[in-house]
Amino acid sequence: MGKKRVMVVGGGLAGLAAAMKLAELDIDVDLMSLTPVKRSHSVCAQGGINACNEQTRQLGDSEWKHFDDTVYGGDFLQHQPPVKEMADWAPRVIDLMDRLGVTFNRTHEGFLDRRRFGGTLYKRTAFAGATTGQQLLYALDEQVRRWEAAGRIKKYEFWDFLGPILDDQGECRGCVAQDLVSMEIRSFPADAVVVATGGCGLIYGRSTMSMVCTGSAVSRCFQAGAKYGNPEFVQVHPTAIPGADKLRLMSESARGEGGRVWVPRTPHDSRAPGDIPENERYYFLEERYPEYGNLVPRDIATREIFDICVNEGLSVETDKQCVYLDLTHIPVAELNRKLGGILEIYEKFQGVDPRLNPMKIFPAVHYTMGGLWADYQRTAEGGLEPGSPRNQVTNIPNLYAIGECDYQYHGGNRLGANSLLSCIFTGLFTAPGLQNLLESQSGAAAEMDASLFESERKRHQDQHDQLLRRDRGGENPYLIHQELGDVMTKAATVVRRNEQIQEAYQTVSDLEARAAKCSLSDTGNWTNQNVVFTKALQDMFPIAKAILKGALQRDECRGAHYKPEFAMPSLESTDAAGRQAEAEAWCDRFEANNEKWLKSTVVRWDGSEPDIQYEDVDTSLIEPRPRLYGLVGAEVIMEVWKARRAKQKAEKQADPNAAATVGS
Amino acid sequence: MVRRLVRWHVNFILSCATTGVSPNELAGDRRTDLRDAGKQDTVEKAPAPFLARHEFLIRRLHSLSGLIPVGAYMVVHLTTNASVLNSSATFQRAVYAIHSLGNLLPLVEWTFIFLPILFHAIIGVVIIRGGLPNTGSYKYTNNIRYTLQRATGMIAFLFIMWHVFHMHGWFHFPAWLRVAEPLGGAQFSPYNAASTLGAAMSGLVVPALYAIGVLSCVFHLANGIWTMGITWGVWISPAAQKRADVVCTVIGVGLAVLSMSALGGAMKIDVEEAEAVENRMYEAKLATGELDEASSAHKRADHAAGEEHSSSADASRLHAGAGRAE
Amino acid sequence: MAEEAREGRSSKDHFEVRILRQNGPGQSSYWERHRVKYEHDMNVISVLQRIAAQAETVDGKSVAPVCWDCNCLEEVCGACSMNINGRVRQACSALVDRLLEDNPSEIELQPMTKFPVIRDLMVDRSRMFRGLTRVKGWVPVDSYENMGPGPRQTRATQEVAYPLSECMSCGCCQEACPQYTKIELTRQEGESEEDFSARKNEAFDRGFVGAHAISQAMLFNSNPTGKNAAGERLDALMAEGGIQVCGNAQNCVEVCPKNIPLTTSIARAGRATTLHALKKWFDE
Repeated sequence: MGKKRVMVVGGGLAGLAAAMKLAELDIDVDLMSLTPVKRSHSVCAQGGINACNEQTRQLGDSEWKHFDDTVYGGDFLQHQPPVKEMADWAPRVIDLMDRLGVTFNRTHEGFLDRRRFGGTLYKRTAFAGATTGQQLLYALDEQVRRWEAAGRIKKYEFWDFLGPILDDQGECRGCVAQDLVSMEIRSFPADAVVVATGGCGLIYGRSTMSMVCTGSAVSRCFQAGAKYGNPEFVQVHPTAIPGADKLRLMSESARGEGGRVWVPRTPHDSRAPGDIPENERYYFLEERYPEYGNLVPRDIATREIFDICVNEGLSVETDKQCVYLDLTHIPVAELNRKLGGILEIYEKFQGVDPRLNPMKIFPAVHYTMGGLWADYQRTAEGGLEPGSPRNQVTNIPNLYAIGECDYQYHGGNRLGANSLLSCIFTGLFTAPGLQNLLESQSGAAAEMDASLFESERKRHQDQHDQLLRRDRGGENPYLIHQELGDVMTKAATVVRRNEQIQEAYQTVSDLEARAAKCSLSDTGNWTNQNVVFTKALQDMFPIAKAILKGALQRDECRGAHYKPEFAMPSLESTDAAGRQAEAEAWCDRFEANNEKWLKSTVVRWDGSEPDIQYEDVDTSLIEPRPRLYGLVGAEVIMEVWKARRAKQKAEKQADPNAAATVGS
Repeated sequence: MVRRLVRWHVNFILSCATTGVSPNELAGDRRTDLRDAGKQDTVEKAPAPFLARHEFLIRRLHSLSGLIPVGAYMVVHLTTNASVLNSSATFQRAVYAIHSLGNLLPLVEWTFIFLPILFHAIIGVVIIRGGLPNTGSYKYTNNIRYTLQRATGMIAFLFIMWHVFHMHGWFHFPAWLRVAEPLGGAQFSPYNAASTLGAAMSGLVVPALYAIGVLSCVFHLANGIWTMGITWGVWISPAAQKRADVVCTVIGVGLAVLSMSALGGAMKIDVEEAEAVENRMYEAKLATGELDEASSAHKRADHAAGEEHSSSADASRLHAGAGRAE
Repeated sequence: MAEEAREGRSSKDHFEVRILRQNGPGQSSYWERHRVKYEHDMNVISVLQRIAAQAETVDGKSVAPVCWDCNCLEEVCGACSMNINGRVRQACSALVDRLLEDNPSEIELQPMTKFPVIRDLMVDRSRMFRGLTRVKGWVPVDSYENMGPGPRQTRATQEVAYPLSECMSCGCCQEACPQYTKIELTRQEGESEEDFSARKNEAFDRGFVGAHAISQAMLFNSNPTGKNAAGERLDALMAEGGIQVCGNAQNCVEVCPKNIPLTTSIARAGRATTLHALKKWFDE
């Protein structure tokens, strides 16, 4: 009796990694999930997982370069120590997953095969066909099952997290949850609660995310006082297959394996794609970004595709927006071996064989870089202190956030194949910190006065009962969800405009009021999906408002957040001197903008509205620089920038006092 | 290991005798059983019943017994019968060859034929009762074969029971034969092999039933060899299974032709002519001393050998004169 | 067309869906008809979403939304298995256009029959996951510490293992298997959650383990580290409800949405258990 327990909420990669590591550390774990953990959204990750490896090292790669690519890709919005630690851990994470039996693709000699992904020039990505997320998740699911059989982990599958339980000191002592089958509401005392519930794509209606990705668990923590970081940074993946119920992901690995994005140069060319000769095809990514080509970071690829379709009117189809993603030049056997999974998805849902015909794709909401604000403890070297209970803890003591639902690792834009890494890394890395936390606590939550747990349970039970008793004839939650998705997709995805966001904020507030008046078509108390969905819908609004307000206030362009009104100017001048002057002005503006906006958005929920503050970003390891990815025509900007840095460095060395102020 | 084997067999027989073979024990559907078991088992796990504990071994023996000895015996049987196509004498010689085992024949028959068939059939019924054929929803070839395997197995079981009664009579003590013969049983006499066979195959109904029964046996064997190869892990890949399928089809078609020829041959026998040949062969064997009249009488047709001759035979012994080619 | 719609048959802009509903475990099931507006690129999930939103039958009767299980909607999570027009498959990849081509009058949805119904189209597949525990479906590593990479493997080994590890525990192979029969227990009065769960697990452990678990056992027996527990997995496959229950109907491989070579795994397990049995008889 009285043994301490940790509640892990969410059974994706992060939750499972944390659970199995905690179990290994001899800590009893409760693992809660909306679905059987094997069906978590991590299975949808396709392309791979990044780590510096022996192959890339020979070409000059290092953990530091992985770290650098990640913060450059994220437009420098992340605190750097956690990212550095993650990059350092990456090779170890892959080794572990390899030992756990993940069926990574192999080279002829039997080493792990690697492919290139967006935002890097190295082949860092280990992969298992095109279902890497699924394979990684299964390996962790198996280990968790092993611990479950040993009695160390207890699973609560088909349970909905309703909120953390905070004591009088504001410390988390457990959570309340509801059984989705019997509808029983129960309190779970826990000495630490780890939220690992992923993203909130369903706020956008259709996205590449799974149906459980409502963000409700995160929202419930947010409403209970947890801070939320960088809400406005939502990744729109450049390549997805449009569908009536979902926008299905078409992995970046398709481009990593040589897939090319193009449109016919003639608008709405009616010829079959195979009949269009090379010189009449516009490989716009390759032409605009010769260095990175089709593997520019996602925010850039998405904007370019959007620009081609919307502004240049070069969409392949007349009645819908899409571009070609072409794999037909790659041998079929190789495609099947490396990309089989995703090609089957395309074939099954579109009825067209992508080995023979270019795929038609368009961007779709994909990942939330933002999430619950989480702390970390920095070491002198700039990494994280292993075993520190501060790592990944939210502003509520004993409440942790890991995986996609924390805001730490991806800044303004996540690089492909880094999400699987951040999920497994945070899960593994947080466990020893939790062990130390539990050891430092005096008593166990299970031994506390039961009245706290009972009163919280009752509060949720009353809310639930009230919702069921609602009169008929009120609002329909499914229709409100559709409207919410439409508004959010229009106002807060690829291109954002202040007046649109303002309007959207008003609409969302109205929808929120209407959602509060939803009435249920199912008022029973057995497997009532209607009431569960309605609650999740109501909890979408605080996050939706945080996204909109964060986007509204951030008057700049950074990563996935793009406002044309505040875009950096392109160089117009044709003569060298003019361009030089323009580049100087560009760099001045860049520095001024960073001064003002290189800050994390940190939101608190005041009960009805998000309250935004800004927090400095720890950029002490890698200095922010213009993020151009070798854009054609912008070379001079990098030259000017480098000259300035060299000059500053020389000055620093000459005057050590000045260095102290610059470096702080 | 021998001790283990013996213990196992004792257990097997005991458990069949005391509990009867419950279909639920070997097959998947244990709903009712477990509900009851669960009531007692919430605290302590009760040991699983004997048949359940040895399910793997029983199923493998079932699989094996279908080929050896039952399937192998069937091939010998059909071949022997087909020899009637050559002549009645050839067939009679083959039967004499089988009966040259003399008093050992019943032992051989029971050990290698009757008991294995019974074992294969009883376990087979248990297996069938544990499955839920679903060819209505899933019309795949192999699924249809799954269902056919069970259907032909049931037909084969009924057919063999009837066939052994029809030809052999099941038992050979006189009291029983007086009941069986008027009911149409025990028609075959090994020393008048072709003639009694020909007589038994008169009309159209009996040969038609034999055709259905024998073809069921043939399908069951040929398809059974194929599934057995999978069960034991002989052919593994889909390509290997396909190749094995071709071989099994050839075996099946071959056996079907063989068996239908034998049936056709039996139907064409000129009974009187055959009997004359058989009697000459019998007399010759008597003359050489290869047979003696006293122990042979019950193996001859009633009108050829008087009832009085057979009375000296050990009537109480379960005298199964199979091997006369059934 | 209007006439057709009035008669309750599918017309060009609407189609009908017949759903076998059940309010809870142990209750009787009943058919219910819904009319859904046709849209391009619909699948069964979007049909169920529309039905949930309208919550009204063909006759205009207000009903609770149909309950069903789904998650990823791209056929990798395994949640949305159900019987569609009489055949088990994933609802997400069941495209309405194709279904209506096969049967223009209606789409028929039923829950899987081999698992206990929780409600409507949602069933309890915990027995499947129990099967994975039964065959010790994991690689028994020493620890999660940093021990360097795993054993090197050939490309050929990976190419055999990868298809097996795509199994998403959707249950299609069990549903179509004539040898796999339903085990449904009800919690008794006064029985604790733990006792009930223990009783269920015991019942599951005696039932047929199913093609998916046999295949997973073969996957881990082929892993260089997983091999170390190969004997235990084979023992599990030879216990009651093990591989011997397979009747070689081979429906599993036909209905598997991931085209996993389940019958190859079964034959491989057949060989492995044969050898394992001989080894146990003669070596121990």
